[in-house]
Amino acid sequence: MKIAVIGTGYVGLVTGVCLAELGHHVTCIDVDQEKVEKLNSGKSPIYEEGLEELLQKNLHNEQVEFTTEYQQGLKDKQLVYLAVGTPQGEDGSADLTYIEAASRDIAEHLENDTVIVTKSTVPVGTNEYIKEIIEANLVHEVHIKIASNPEFLRQGSAVYDTFHGDRIVIGSDDEEALELLEAVNAGFNLPIVKTDLRSAEMIKYASNAFLATKISFINEMANLSEKIGANIDHVARGMGMDKRIGESFLNAGIGFGGSCFPKDTRAIISIGKEIAYDMPILENVVDVNERQRSIIVDKLLKRVYDLKGKKVAVLGLSFKPNTDDMREAPSIAVTEKLLEEGATVVAYDPVAVANAKKVLPGQVNYAESAEEAVQGADVAIILTEWKQIKEFPLTGYKERMNKALLFDGRNCFNLDQVKDSGVEYHSIGRPVIYG
Amino acid sequence: MNIAVVGTGYVGLVTGVTLSDIGHNVTCIDIDKEKVEIMKKGTSPLYEPGLSELMNKNIKQSRLFFTTNHAEGFANAEVIYIAVGTPENEDGSANLAYVEQVAKDIAQYVVQDLIVVTKSTVPVGTNHKIKTIITENLVNNIKFEVVSNPEFLKEGSAIKDSFEGDRIVIGADSSEASAIIEKINQPFGVPVFRTDVRSAEMIKYASNAFLATKISFINEISNICDRVEANVEDVAKGMGMDKRIGPDFLKAGLGYGGSCFPKDTKALIQIAGNVHYDFQLLKGVVNVNRKQQRMIIEKLLERMPDIKGKRIAVLGLSFKPNTDDMREAASIVVTNSLIDRGAEVIAYDPIAMNNAKKILAPEVEYSTSVKGAINESDAVLILTEWDEIKDIDLNFFSEMKYPLVVDGRNCFDLETMREHHIEYHSVGRPSISCQFEKTYA
Repeated sequence: MKIAVIGTGYVGLVTGVCLAELGHHVTCIDVDQEKVEKLNSGKSPIYEEGLEELLQKNLHNEQVEFTTEYQQGLKDKQLVYLAVGTPQGEDGSADLTYIEAASRDIAEHLENDTVIVTKSTVPVGTNEYIKEIIEANLVHEVHIKIASNPEFLRQGSAVYDTFHGDRIVIGSDDEEALELLEAVNAGFNLPIVKTDLRSAEMIKYASNAFLATKISFINEMANLSEKIGANIDHVARGMGMDKRIGESFLNAGIGFGGSCFPKDTRAIISIGKEIAYDMPILENVVDVNERQRSIIVDKLLKRVYDLKGKKVAVLGLSFKPNTDDMREAPSIAVTEKLLEEGATVVAYDPVAVANAKKVLPGQVNYAESAEEAVQGADVAIILTEWKQIKEFPLTGYKERMNKALLFDGRNCFNLDQVKDSGVEYHSIGRPVIYG
Repeated sequence: MNIAVVGTGYVGLVTGVTLSDIGHNVTCIDIDKEKVEIMKKGTSPLYEPGLSELMNKNIKQSRLFFTTNHAEGFANAEVIYIAVGTPENEDGSANLAYVEQVAKDIAQYVVQDLIVVTKSTVPVGTNHKIKTIITENLVNNIKFEVVSNPEFLKEGSAIKDSFEGDRIVIGADSSEASAIIEKINQPFGVPVFRTDVRSAEMIKYASNAFLATKISFINEISNICDRVEANVEDVAKGMGMDKRIGPDFLKAGLGYGGSCFPKDTKALIQIAGNVHYDFQLLKGVVNVNRKQQRMIIEKLLERMPDIKGKRIAVLGLSFKPNTDDMREAASIVVTNSLIDRGAEVIAYDPIAMNNAKKILAPEVEYSTSVKGAINESDAVLILTEWDEIKDIDLNFFSEMKYPLVVDGRNCFDLETMREHHIEYHSVGRPSISCQFEKTYA
């Protein structure tokens, strides 16, 4: 099938390259000339496991190409995917500027009948709005149909997820559009849910909001377990064995970040506001998450009182492991607070340092390795459970720090491991170990 | 193993009967003489599929006994299960009077070393309290250990759950005691998770609170779906296929009821309050549930603003299907509200009507059949998704003066209702109007 993908950000690029891998002919359109050239030479502008290999393979096989030209890109396409960004507006609602611009560009250049497929996460009702914009601005006499096909990719495993996801959701009020999309996706061999446009839009928001709810729930349980003398690892395990609950997303920590959960949860609250419907659960999910970020510094201050002149090693900066994404990462608030308290901060992250330098305060120093970061430090704080950090041994803290004092915001270590290690260990929802 | 179970309410009786069925000698103790006599004859005082059969079988095989006498019941017991009720106090906390009384009885009557197992759902720290009470009141010089072994039964499928549950949680601070309780439970063939006492106590509350959260979450989503014209059934299906979410407890409706979820969520909020922790998220869950029970009345009033003198059929009264339990059932709030507004209420439930008569307003009339309830009514409200109600002959509705159905449990397919020309309002799904010549009176 001949497909155009508009937008080569994270979602657009993965979508385009994976559709090409299935054997479709894909043209990705982006207004950024430099980015398009880079992509045409086989370089991925984002870090995502396996993406660059697939990109190069499909460029070589001429299954995928990149262009800045809409007219050329849209020519003879049976489907046009919209995969531009929908950043969060100031009030928490989704900013549709890029969607609107792309819709007008499509209208201007489209010369044949096609199905418009929205990949971007958009509020309920946006697909109808997109259709209106395109139809109002069409230059040539063509017919369009509209469908929603929300992405469920996880950063760090987006390519894998595309081929091994739990389900593909396609929503349209047009039966033929649904059939066409089903055929396009058949090669992925994943279960497909067919529904109407609005329900498909809701599925995306509701799924992310629920996972965010699960995280905030277990974080509240962790805070409570600490106060009561229970161990959140055990509580989560006992809960997760219940098949109706399941063990995923029950890791207590310092909250969720990234580009999806915070944005999508706020967006659904904002949908509720528009129709004058209060969402007390989701509002609390967001509040709990905000509080959870500061919990690690609160613990630290309670233990150390005065951070002035203290050297603090911060291990892990990206919002989660296996990505260089710094959006809504707890490291931002944590490093700001540490500096405010007068500490010297030395940070380490295996991948995200380049991005971190753009968002963290200028006073933060960076180390090349966990060893280097904790060398001579008074306190160490773990913010992201990278493999390199989980596998950095407790003896490393013991040997290199002034006094081994570790605050772990991601419960990377088993408490039995910590006992007799010589490390004083504070984690989330578990007893303090004076090893 | 010789086991005594104190309390023959829902949890105690199921625990005693199933433990006898896997080969233990079990004596169930209850102070209610009349109840004990009934149970000795093999009759279950409560409705639970399969329970009477198992009782009879194990009484015949002389593994299951009932008594009102503690001394007799405790005489040979190596393990005593505490399974008495922990009702909700007015402030939402759990009332431990019965549990404390059992601890005193144990202290008075036990004559040999033993393990005390708490089955009842009790706040964190209660097992330590039980230990203290027994120690302080002990008459004979014996040794004992305390173990938490929370029940995870679902009313309506409690027997099945005992043998096919997802896990058995055993919380003990003594690994010997923990090992003995694990051995007792081994024949159930269910995975065992061993932990400390406090974490075991928390697991029970956390699990129920999470499931309640899941229910309130999908109800919140359904209310959004109502307003943006999405279909919550499809949304739930798309969500539930995500393995990290799972399909269970994603059915939008009138919220949760019964003896566990409302009580345990409020108790957990209270437990948190006691240690000065504000469990915000769970407070939101409880609020959503409270509003959700009233939602069906709002839907009815939107369609029929004045229900004074109108005859409203209410189908399903128990808090969920396959039980006669009326505790915290939506039917209580709903029928009260209908009667306050001057409506006539005619109710039907396959099993729970006897219990309902004790709790619902006296103005409520009861019908012996679904058809009888629907006949002559101006509107039908569905509150419990009994199979008998889901499988109803839809012509019963079509034959109403005007077929108006408000379904709080999404029992019917939208297309089917459309084909039958029934005006149909459900939860989080588009409404179906009646395309039929009958006019609304």
